[in-house]
Amino acid sequence: MKIRQQVGVISSKLLPAKRSTCLAWAAALALSIPLLLMPWIVRLDGHAHADWQQFLGRFHPLAVHLPIGLLVLLPLLEMAGAHRPALRETAGFVLGLAFASCLFALTLGFLLAYGGGTAGAGVTLHLWGGIALTIAVLLCMLARPWWSSHNVPYAYPWLLTCMLLALLWTAHQGGLLTHGNNYLTQYMPAGFKRWAGIGLEAPVTASFYSRHINPILDANCVGCHGASQAKGGLRVDSYESLMKGGHDGPVIAAGSPEKSLLLQRVTLPSDHKQFMPAEGKPPLRSEEIAWIKAWIQQGASPTATALAGVAIREDRPELPLQPVGDYSALMPEIRQMALAPGPKLIQVSAKPEDGLVLFTVDAASSFGDAQLAEFQKFAPYVVEAELARTAITDASFDTLRQFTHLRALHLEETHVTGNGLAKLAPLTQLSYLNLSGTQVTSANVAPLSAMKNLSHVYLYNTPAQPASSAQSTQPIAQSIARNTP
Amino acid sequence: MKQHLLCTDTECTPNVMDLAVPASVKQEWAALQTRRHFLGRSGKVLGWAALSSLLGNRALRGDVPMNAQQAADAIKAPHFAPKAKRAIYLFMSGGPSQVDLWDYKPNLAAQYDKDIPDSVRGAQQLTGMTANQARFPVAPSHWSFKRYGEAGTWVSDLLPYSGRMADDLAIIKSTNTEAINHEPAIMLMNTGNMNAGKPCLGSWLAYGLGSMNDNLPTFMVLQTKLNTKENNQPVSSRLWSSGFLSSQYAGVGLRSAGDPVLFLTDPDGVDREVRRGMLDVVNEINRQTYEELGDPETNSRIAQYEMAYRMQTSVPELADLSKEPKSTWDLYGPEAKEPGTFAYNCLMARRLAERGVRFTQVYKRGWDMHDNVMGIMPIICGETDRGCYALVTDLKQRGMLDDTLVVWAGEFGRTVYSQGGLSKDNYGRDHHPRCYTTWLTGGGVRTGITYGETDDYSYNVVKDPVTVRDFNATILHCLGIDHNKLTYKFQGLDQKLTGPFPASVVKDLLA
Repeated sequence: MKIRQQVGVISSKLLPAKRSTCLAWAAALALSIPLLLMPWIVRLDGHAHADWQQFLGRFHPLAVHLPIGLLVLLPLLEMAGAHRPALRETAGFVLGLAFASCLFALTLGFLLAYGGGTAGAGVTLHLWGGIALTIAVLLCMLARPWWSSHNVPYAYPWLLTCMLLALLWTAHQGGLLTHGNNYLTQYMPAGFKRWAGIGLEAPVTASFYSRHINPILDANCVGCHGASQAKGGLRVDSYESLMKGGHDGPVIAAGSPEKSLLLQRVTLPSDHKQFMPAEGKPPLRSEEIAWIKAWIQQGASPTATALAGVAIREDRPELPLQPVGDYSALMPEIRQMALAPGPKLIQVSAKPEDGLVLFTVDAASSFGDAQLAEFQKFAPYVVEAELARTAITDASFDTLRQFTHLRALHLEETHVTGNGLAKLAPLTQLSYLNLSGTQVTSANVAPLSAMKNLSHVYLYNTPAQPASSAQSTQPIAQSIARNTP
Repeated sequence: MKQHLLCTDTECTPNVMDLAVPASVKQEWAALQTRRHFLGRSGKVLGWAALSSLLGNRALRGDVPMNAQQAADAIKAPHFAPKAKRAIYLFMSGGPSQVDLWDYKPNLAAQYDKDIPDSVRGAQQLTGMTANQARFPVAPSHWSFKRYGEAGTWVSDLLPYSGRMADDLAIIKSTNTEAINHEPAIMLMNTGNMNAGKPCLGSWLAYGLGSMNDNLPTFMVLQTKLNTKENNQPVSSRLWSSGFLSSQYAGVGLRSAGDPVLFLTDPDGVDREVRRGMLDVVNEINRQTYEELGDPETNSRIAQYEMAYRMQTSVPELADLSKEPKSTWDLYGPEAKEPGTFAYNCLMARRLAERGVRFTQVYKRGWDMHDNVMGIMPIICGETDRGCYALVTDLKQRGMLDDTLVVWAGEFGRTVYSQGGLSKDNYGRDHHPRCYTTWLTGGGVRTGITYGETDDYSYNVVKDPVTVRDFNATILHCLGIDHNKLTYKFQGLDQKLTGPFPASVVKDLLA
């Protein structure tokens, strides 16, 4: 009895016995239930349906931004309305308009997914997000009169907050569908990436597929044929799903590129209706197509590590240039040197922070350890030192180790024997070291292998030159033992 | 008699007030004819005249005083950090046949002596040399091709050495030009314009990047001596001219025989000291001339005299090959010992690069094969193939390819159809601007790739065309220069190497 009384009290608060309010709630319920049931009634089966559905559906991205704008505007209007009542009245109208446009966009979105034969986890999430958002907007509409009449002051602000969160999430899901998973993080500065732990996982295997084929598909195809959408029932985000194919059957015919649907589609003329990647995305590069072709030709193996006739140079990612400090105070001296004969410091580029290059070509024979020592004050700003054919000796390694930003060091045809090369170990940026034509020995060069960024070491015409590479055109760096990741 | 309105007879000058012109114009005309206007205008003119005489003649000069200009030159720098500090350009003058060297078309064998389809040729205007031919029979290459390197690049049997370095090259099959004859085409390649008078690539580089050394010019040109069996087209100093840029940016040529630079050796009885004294006096006179006239070319002259003085020691050292190790001769071949051969020039180019020369251009003439392709091709390929390979390999083993750009290019390609008769023993090829093959390697270049595609007749580019402008923009990019920003004001325009039409750096060619 008591409980019933209490319910009666609350309900009399919430539901003033107005017929119109009851009707509104009933209508809302009547609308929400079909909305919730819609994904079960009309299942997204991954098959394309009527063209008119797609035609209308493609207006979804156009229509969807109206409710987004309106819903973002809504809380602003409500807040500003505290001071200007007229704005609060406007908010009511905006809310109503937002709901109508939500319903419209939802309908178009459903037509797009259903008509276009899109399916996949991403689409489902986005669809559910859209439905939840529409219902949240509806609830906001119903709760707002209580709030404005101060009957139930908290329900509407809470609902509004939830609605905005739902909006954020749904819009993000939509963005992922349109632009791909890594759209936001692709060009994130490396520092942030490390901090956020994004995109640093190394390829699991060393197979040609995982190093070269999968990344091409990942960059160009997975947006529509992956976990989030699987247009045409095709997913290419894993080897298994790629080989399984889509509604039109397998897309890879191992050993026969000409029968492989995937290759056919990417090699059509770019204005062809069935050309892939579709929707004006950039076509694959010619060598990418060549790799796919060669890979299919040679059996489309998931494990083969190399393909005959295909060489892909895998450059290690270059070190980002470390800007040097401010040397503007030294500029008068640098200018003076430039005008006089003798050693010079030349800017790497018009950007001073790219550092300086030390050129000694004009002073070669008279430039010795003492002359180099005079450049100590410039040491942190020099990124490249051209000391070839100078008179410097091993004693200069003590000076050179202070050139902390040094990336390239030319010592060819100098008197260095390599005794003390280990002193260069603190030069973490050093990636190029040329010792050609010197008397360095392999024993003296050995400590260099500990410097993990040092990728180019030249030992041509030295006692340390590996015998096999006398005629080889490969940089000798590769013959120095090193284990870098 | 009624006078025409525009009659110039002074007896009956037409009156503006009578003409059918707007009233506002009539009012303006009336205002211009007042004494007040005359006095006002002349006052201003006198004011300007006074100002210019106060400022001295400096105000009338377009240039900057010498020391300021030198200071500006001294801090010249690329627009962004470059991959290559210097470049070597192997120019194959005459138009090498892409069909016989790089652009492998195995299907052509079946087309032997068949007319090239009109659809391929389109409405192209041909040269006067073949335009009147009754037919255009397809002449497949006489030579077979092999695959080289890990990339499996097809290279003609004419270029066995180049084949060995195929993995080090970025081969561009889709270079194309607008010019169809030698002089305009070679000017276009070098200066970005078919008409003479614009600065060439090397001058732009010298102007934009400045020198890396004091003892040799920034830009040097090496000519390969003639082989009279070949059809040699003239190569003139217009190609290394600095155009409207200061003449200190012009290329300095080394002669292919005798003294590398004429009159560089002091005559008997003149020693270094006498020469120095003479130069000091001449320079002083030149400086006075500059003070008087303010012509910047006077400064260039002083600079060039000084450069020549320093070259008196630097050039003999450059040309002294006695210290080259045996491995050099194993690589370049015995020909490299003979001055003026292509191999010698390639070795020289490496030595110039070592000595801080920014840009070296090696010219090899004789690729113009209108007839006797089968006779000449093996000769000219024999002359050049090993040198190219040796240069690239040498730079690579010495660690110089990392920061040196190497370019191999001619001014156009050659037609797939035969000029003159086609027989089993011989054929000729006419000029072909629509597609030709070039290659790049070294600093900043993505190697081991073939870029661009031509159709089955090696006639039209079907994929990724590279215009001369794009080609030059890409070269500049490798050296750290934005081709749109390297400009010089001349004739009221911001002149640049790539000219007024849009050009783009070919990103796919870059590492």
